[in-house]
Amino acid sequence: MNHKSVRVLFLVFVFGLVISFTSCNEEDPQKEDVPELITQAKLTFTPSGGGVPVEVTATDPDGEGVQDIEVDGAINLAAGVTYTLTIGLINGLADPGSEGYDIGKEVEEEGDEHMFFFAWTGNVFADPAGNGNIDNRGDAVNYADEDESGFPIGLMTTWTAGPSSSGTFRVVLKHQPDLKTSTSSVDVGETDLDITFEVSVN
Amino acid sequence: MTSRVLLIAFLLLLPFGVIAQDCSLTFSGTVTDEKGQPLVGAYVIMSPGGGQVTDVEGRFLFANLCSRKYHIEIRFLGYAEQQIDKVLTQSEELSIKLVPEALQLQEIVVQEELAHTEHAVNYSRLNQQILEELAGKSLGETLKEVPGVSSIQAGPGIFKPVIHGVHSQRVLILNHGIRQEGQQWGAEHAPEIDPFMASNITVIKDAAAIKYGGDALGGVIVVNPPQLPTSSGVGGYLNAVGTSNGRSGTLSGMLEGGLDGFTGWGWRAQGTVKRAGDFFTPDYQLTNTGFREVDYSASVGFHDDSKGFEVFFSHFETDLGILRGTAVSSIEDLRAAMDRDTPQGTQPFSYDISEPRQEVSHNLLKLNAHYQGEEGEWRLQYGFQENKRKEFDIRRGSLENTPSINLSLNTHTFELEWEKIELTHKHLCFGMSAMYQSNQNIFGTQRIPFIPNYSSLSSGLFAVADWELGKWLLDAGVRYDYRAYQVKGFDFKNTFYTGAFQFNNFSATMGVSRQWNGSKRFSSSVSTAWRPPHVAELYSVGTHQSAAAIEYGLLLNDSTNEVMDIDAVNFQAEKAVKWVSSYSRKFGHVSMEAAAYANYIFNYIYLRAQGVTETLRGVYPYFKYSQTDALFVGADWEWEWEVTPHWTADAKASLLRVSDVTNNDYLISIPSNQYQVGIRWEGHDQLGLDGLYASARLRYVDQQRRAPRVIAVDRFIQSGTDGSDPLDGSSANFDFMAAPGAYFLLNASAGFRTGKKVKYDLRVSVDNALNNPYREYTNRFRYYADEIGRNFIISFKCTF
Repeated sequence: MNHKSVRVLFLVFVFGLVISFTSCNEEDPQKEDVPELITQAKLTFTPSGGGVPVEVTATDPDGEGVQDIEVDGAINLAAGVTYTLTIGLINGLADPGSEGYDIGKEVEEEGDEHMFFFAWTGNVFADPAGNGNIDNRGDAVNYADEDESGFPIGLMTTWTAGPSSSGTFRVVLKHQPDLKTSTSSVDVGETDLDITFEVSVN
Repeated sequence: MTSRVLLIAFLLLLPFGVIAQDCSLTFSGTVTDEKGQPLVGAYVIMSPGGGQVTDVEGRFLFANLCSRKYHIEIRFLGYAEQQIDKVLTQSEELSIKLVPEALQLQEIVVQEELAHTEHAVNYSRLNQQILEELAGKSLGETLKEVPGVSSIQAGPGIFKPVIHGVHSQRVLILNHGIRQEGQQWGAEHAPEIDPFMASNITVIKDAAAIKYGGDALGGVIVVNPPQLPTSSGVGGYLNAVGTSNGRSGTLSGMLEGGLDGFTGWGWRAQGTVKRAGDFFTPDYQLTNTGFREVDYSASVGFHDDSKGFEVFFSHFETDLGILRGTAVSSIEDLRAAMDRDTPQGTQPFSYDISEPRQEVSHNLLKLNAHYQGEEGEWRLQYGFQENKRKEFDIRRGSLENTPSINLSLNTHTFELEWEKIELTHKHLCFGMSAMYQSNQNIFGTQRIPFIPNYSSLSSGLFAVADWELGKWLLDAGVRYDYRAYQVKGFDFKNTFYTGAFQFNNFSATMGVSRQWNGSKRFSSSVSTAWRPPHVAELYSVGTHQSAAAIEYGLLLNDSTNEVMDIDAVNFQAEKAVKWVSSYSRKFGHVSMEAAAYANYIFNYIYLRAQGVTETLRGVYPYFKYSQTDALFVGADWEWEWEVTPHWTADAKASLLRVSDVTNNDYLISIPSNQYQVGIRWEGHDQLGLDGLYASARLRYVDQQRRAPRVIAVDRFIQSGTDGSDPLDGSSANFDFMAAPGAYFLLNASAGFRTGKKVKYDLRVSVDNALNNPYREYTNRFRYYADEIGRNFIISFKCTF
């Protein structure tokens, strides 16, 4: 190889390097709103006879990040009182009021694909009795809503606290597109939510 | 146990068909140029039999041949390839004259690639015959026929090639001479290439093809198209393949010709359509594993004595379903999926494809030219690739048709090289390459992008040479590469970040080979390679299709998860030193080839189990891209016995042992040891049918005994309730499920060819003939379902 060829190759190489520093001016990517992420779940137990609702909130500060979820305390219920439980789901990365903010509303709109399942310990409830329908779909849970096929959803449920006791209360939301039936259990579909709270009845 | 008995029975049956015969014939000759001057280093391939390089007087000699039909190919850089079919009944000597390719109408880059793959010390080739027998399979599945090559699989339709245990960014695929650039970071992302375009596929296992890039730590896969036709008139083929499993149909056709009155011009058009429905295991359907694929390509070129150019365009497009039962979004879902005998959502057979699914398209435009000057030959090549990938997951209703990943990757490659051939003793090539790449997330996925936007610019300079030193052939190469990245993305909080960094380094290769009288060949090489990291390895964030695990890039902070600057972490580019030696020998009618290799990869990047994180969907294990030193040691062995002129028997073994040296641990998803035996009967024009054959092959895939520890999903679920550490304070690698057991597969095939002017080929074969249920360790879907069951394949080809 003669000197001329070496020079040509070298010049082309340098030319390539020069392009590298001039051509990398791209537009910034556009920020996505992320409506399907659930960053906060709020459980509101409203006493049937009126009074101050009991609220607990589970927040995931970083979604799929390494930090654990934060729960702002136990569910403190009064013995013998009947409550209506409503579950709110929020995507904190979307702007409040925007379409993707209220995930609970989306779940309601697609009730035929979603179902909440519940499990508890310590016999904290008088009604329903037992330990919930996560271990066995047929077990009692008092659903107060239903989808267009007449299957329960679970955004609204009713609970009567038992005598003084304590235990845990687990809520699981399943996404069951084309899979939800009158017998579909917690093992069916994909999990959208799975949180366990402390519960105490006084 | 039963499998061992089968193997022994099979081996015992082999000798039946042995008939005493004369296998002491020789076939020898000289290869000369058009003026009668000997060509030194020309490649002569005899099949069956193997390859040889002509000596200083242009001679070659194949000994211990049997009386039968042979196919002989003779190749030399700068000269047109010659093919001879010969029925050998007595020893023969032949004088072969090669014509300079400039006098022929040919695709210069192809010649160039062939020449260079020959300089590679350790390579294997799938020739046209093997490719025809594998027609209808994807590129990754086809490549599994090469010793030392396996695949990482994601269900029945997605195969990603693995060479000597390494894959993805560490394997370079050259499609028509252009580096294939797709979203290769994902284990479930298969190469976007239609194997029907290739006339042969060569796998270089020793990084010796340094001119294509210094980053091929594992090896290079070269997909070679056929040469453009040399004369006017139209030719082509039509190939139809149907399979019982998946009820798939493939139709591929090609037309080519020269142009009347325009000497030097040639053209080709080619296309393939494929459609498959749900595959099935011996026991159940694999719902949503069908796919659709449409590929086409066209090329036109001109060549004369001293110059030539060509334009090539290809399009690849596929829509493929991901097994419905692999959709999991929490660790509890994963446990349920593993416990099920039949995957969730299993339905009767259908061609429908629904979520989860992928839509992938790839366009390639290539322009190349060459000019033969006084001092040597100049070559120029430009390639543009447009790769689009959309991944659709099962999402809440309004987002059903919104992809969760939507990427567009554009790549420009530019190469210039100068080559000088001194016919007798040496060969020299210098060149440079540049690549500009831009990756964009298409707005509207309503997800935080899994990988950020980036642009990168790479440049490389290389020199390769080979020369003769006595009876030894030496080759050496050196290369310098530079790559700069600019990154723009959003972290887990959806906050904007940027990054910019560069890498540069040298790589080198050196090899020797020697040939003894056609019956023995030895070669050995040592090469170094290095690889800049892929952006996915640095910045990935989130969960992946069917993985049930969260993945974090190397640059994410361990405790805050925020993106850090690359200077803040102790990041080192991956570097490898690979040694490969091979020895082949022919004794009588037995030939064998053995290759051994060791590849030590410094700063090997892999997904390492890091811990568990609590999310609103329950506890999740999370993995982080980490670095370690890894050692890949293995051997490939092939043995072939021409029992009679009609019968051949062969045996092959591929062994691989991989260690995480730094942590004294095993790595996950490493292909296990494989052994196979085959018998083949060839009719040699019996019954008036050309190429009549029948063959059977038994493949034994061992269990991976060097797999990481198993931590059952239950242990993670338990940690969510009692707060214990499922990883027991150790960051050793783990797997959710033990490696599946060993398995046997029996495949059989038969076919013939007929017709004179128009040729008809018919082939019938069966894969997994015993309908064995089994799971393969390197299939990512092994947690969820068995591999596919018995599959009948019928292939019809008409060549005109």
